[in-house]
Amino acid sequence: MLSMIILTITGVLVLFLGLRKGKELIVPIAALGVVAAGGSYFFYDTMGQEWMKGMMATQAIPGVFVGLLLVCTLLLLPFLNRYQPRGAGEMGDVTGLLLFAIIGGMMMVSHEDLMILFLGIEMLSIAMYILAGSDRRIIQSNEASLKYFILGAFASAIFLFGVGLYYVATGTFKLVDFKIISPEIFAIGIMVIFAGLAFKVSLAPFHFWAPDVYQGSPTLITAIMATIVKIAGFGALFQFLRYQVQHAGDWFYWLIALIAITSMLIGNVMAFGQRSVKRLLAYSGVVQAGFILVGFLHLKSENSWMILFYLVAYALASIVSFVAIYFVESKKGSDDIAEFKGLFFQNPFLAVVFTIALLSLGGGPLTAGFMAKLFVLYHAAGTGSPFFVVVALVLAVISMYYYFKVINQFFTNDQESTASWKIGWTYQAVLVLISAATLCFGIFPYWLIRWISA
Amino acid sequence: MMSPILILILFYIITGAIQLATGRKWASNIGLASAVIGLLFYLFLLTDLDLSGGLMYPFEFKWIPGLEINFSLALDVQNILLLLLVFLVVPVGILAAMSSSEQKSAVYYALISWGQAALIGFFAAQNPLSFYLFFELALIPFYLMVLMYGGEYRRRAVFKFLMYTVFGSFLMLAAIVYYYSISGAAGVGAQWNSIGSVGVDLTHQIWIFAALFVAFAIKSPLFPFHTWQADLYSEGDRPAIMIIAAVLSKMGVFGFVRFFPLVSEAVSSLAYILIPLCIVGILYGAIVAWRQSIMTKILAYSSLSHIGMIAAAIFTGSVVGLQGAIFQMFTHGLIAVSLFYVVDLIMRRTDNNNLYASAGMAKIHPRLSVYFFIIVLASVGLPLTSGFVGEFYMLWGLTEKSIWYGAFAGLSIVLGAIYMLRFYQKSMFGELNADHAHKWHKLELSEDYVLLVSVILIISFGFFPATWMDLTLQAANTLLNK
Repeated sequence: MLSMIILTITGVLVLFLGLRKGKELIVPIAALGVVAAGGSYFFYDTMGQEWMKGMMATQAIPGVFVGLLLVCTLLLLPFLNRYQPRGAGEMGDVTGLLLFAIIGGMMMVSHEDLMILFLGIEMLSIAMYILAGSDRRIIQSNEASLKYFILGAFASAIFLFGVGLYYVATGTFKLVDFKIISPEIFAIGIMVIFAGLAFKVSLAPFHFWAPDVYQGSPTLITAIMATIVKIAGFGALFQFLRYQVQHAGDWFYWLIALIAITSMLIGNVMAFGQRSVKRLLAYSGVVQAGFILVGFLHLKSENSWMILFYLVAYALASIVSFVAIYFVESKKGSDDIAEFKGLFFQNPFLAVVFTIALLSLGGGPLTAGFMAKLFVLYHAAGTGSPFFVVVALVLAVISMYYYFKVINQFFTNDQESTASWKIGWTYQAVLVLISAATLCFGIFPYWLIRWISA
Repeated sequence: MMSPILILILFYIITGAIQLATGRKWASNIGLASAVIGLLFYLFLLTDLDLSGGLMYPFEFKWIPGLEINFSLALDVQNILLLLLVFLVVPVGILAAMSSSEQKSAVYYALISWGQAALIGFFAAQNPLSFYLFFELALIPFYLMVLMYGGEYRRRAVFKFLMYTVFGSFLMLAAIVYYYSISGAAGVGAQWNSIGSVGVDLTHQIWIFAALFVAFAIKSPLFPFHTWQADLYSEGDRPAIMIIAAVLSKMGVFGFVRFFPLVSEAVSSLAYILIPLCIVGILYGAIVAWRQSIMTKILAYSSLSHIGMIAAAIFTGSVVGLQGAIFQMFTHGLIAVSLFYVVDLIMRRTDNNNLYASAGMAKIHPRLSVYFFIIVLASVGLPLTSGFVGEFYMLWGLTEKSIWYGAFAGLSIVLGAIYMLRFYQKSMFGELNADHAHKWHKLELSEDYVLLVSVILIISFGFFPATWMDLTLQAANTLLNK
């Protein structure tokens, strides 16, 4: 609770700094706020239990999700410095909204009551709707914002409908200590709530917003969407399902299985012919969401490390990918795949980190993504779903095709475009850190497993 | 304690980093020096061998404790020769890259070093998952090397190669995960020498083998999964192709050797399909090679034929067959790299991949023609060359299985003689094309040495195969649990 108060104060402070034109201070202060929030969450949180009794959990598993959210925010914040030329006002707004979104995300991953979950979703989503449209000079950004907002509001309505059904079936909004009065309504309720959350993490067939919104939003905002929103969404799904799934019955297993496979299939098929790299990665995000959902089969609290590992791998790779796209886009004016031609010869640093990120997304060896896929597949095989393993692997091959289509461009020597360019060293440092972590968790997965299964 | 194998891998990873840091001027020299140092170090390790079938210089590391999977490297009787091949081939590749007309960047040499590290890891890996890791990893440096340099259509060729292999390796991962779902964590973590004892019934074995077969058949390549090969070999950057033809193509057949104890029943029950399929590939490769007029394509199809023979010999599941296969993997690598080196050398002088472009070269480069002839004879499998020993054992194994297998596979030796001698004759003799001949500069010292050393190796392995055949006998016995 204290951590959320700190984040709120920091957010408001950042907004005011924007007003007072102190744009150099915005990112450091926001970072300080996030660190302080993390410190108070993990080392000094006496207020949580008393204030939010039975509504928000402060146990270990949501804690790891919260930690992941905060770390991703810290990794993303330095890049918001690129907003400086846009003026202090805009920069303050974006940073402040990001901080508010995080609070929503924290509520989502640690809810124990559906009302808190709903509040969290709205808080995160409304911030994201505005962020998607933050480049208001560009029509696509406006369109993305509107599309995201309308579809998001629709999903919220579905979610609330599910909450209503849940209330009818159990007589409470609480996730623990409830009695099921009507199993049928309970089942429909869970399904509808699941659909509402599936929208947020862009699982097929609820993914229709993702490609347009990812492409239309400013690329740094897309990076936030691909990381913060996914982590918060899957954290919420995990927190919700781990209590409910044993009451749901076998059909729920098949529902998850079906949605996982649909996501992987649709994402892959649609990503296949994309020329816009952002759009391609949006569909790849649908595929990855499907993979993460495989970890939800036979959900138990002990499975959390697997899902978390996948989220870590995916978040790290996504940050690097979208940031790299951002830099290329701001250099060349487009995210078309042809703009990436010869990137290795123009900016070897960016090409290498982007290659590592794409390999990680595709599940190449020695990257965190490989281990993540391996764990999820082992889990699926070990729980008696070898069918999944085969389907998932075939789809993984297809996904390798389009990741390598991008990588192929980097290393193609193009005589005309060898003028080299660089990015700032702070950005480089963050990207190196993330890439090193990706490789490190790929080679020594045990380090990460130990942290996240605490 | 640090294992020498791990030291070698780390050594090449660090070498690669240093090459990047020092830049173009030094990278090639550092690469060559480190390749030679590695070779000498490995030869030093070989002076103290334990041929009783145990692991030498093992390295274990708790990799994924939750799944009981260790990261494990060691020398054993099966991989000694193949590791030797890696250490022999890479310096040749670097030398070829150094003398090519196109200046290669530091990244290129760093990629060779990293590729070598991955290859060492691959052959030394001691359990399925470590094996898979390096199987995938070895692909990336060579993919990038070909992508950055090479012919006009390299991008399509290398992409095809990549997609084929990635498809194969994912199937292999599926097999490993499937194996895990049957045998539990202990099975996948098990080392090769204990893997045979984990009970997997025949139906499961057949499924696992089917996935592995496609994976390794693509990588090797075996007929009919070879369609990437000819494109890549003719479009790719030649030093990289040298290493791919000599070493990467062995990764597939070596996979059959490694997984043999696990799927031995499936292999023996499917042998009546597998061996004829391989023999079709052997003859197909030989006949197609005969009709080619592009040098690299001849080598590609001849490789297809030879690798098919190795696979057929493995599928016999007999001691002599496996013995021959393991020895032939080594010697075919040696011969392939020599042949590619000769082709590279010719192509540097003629700027042409055509078989007839270098006609009459024997008059100007008599030494080259002699070296080339010995290598061609070894490729054909003439007695007293290393090629003969492997071919002989493999045919013995096949004939033991069935006289027809022996007869049809033996036909490939005749065909091999036809296409290799045609290759030799058309490229070395005939009408000298006087317009270009004056540009054909003399053999450089390094070229002379490489050819001399490979000829000496080819002949000495042919004259004194006894030690190595003892080694392969031990390897075959370990595989068959005798």
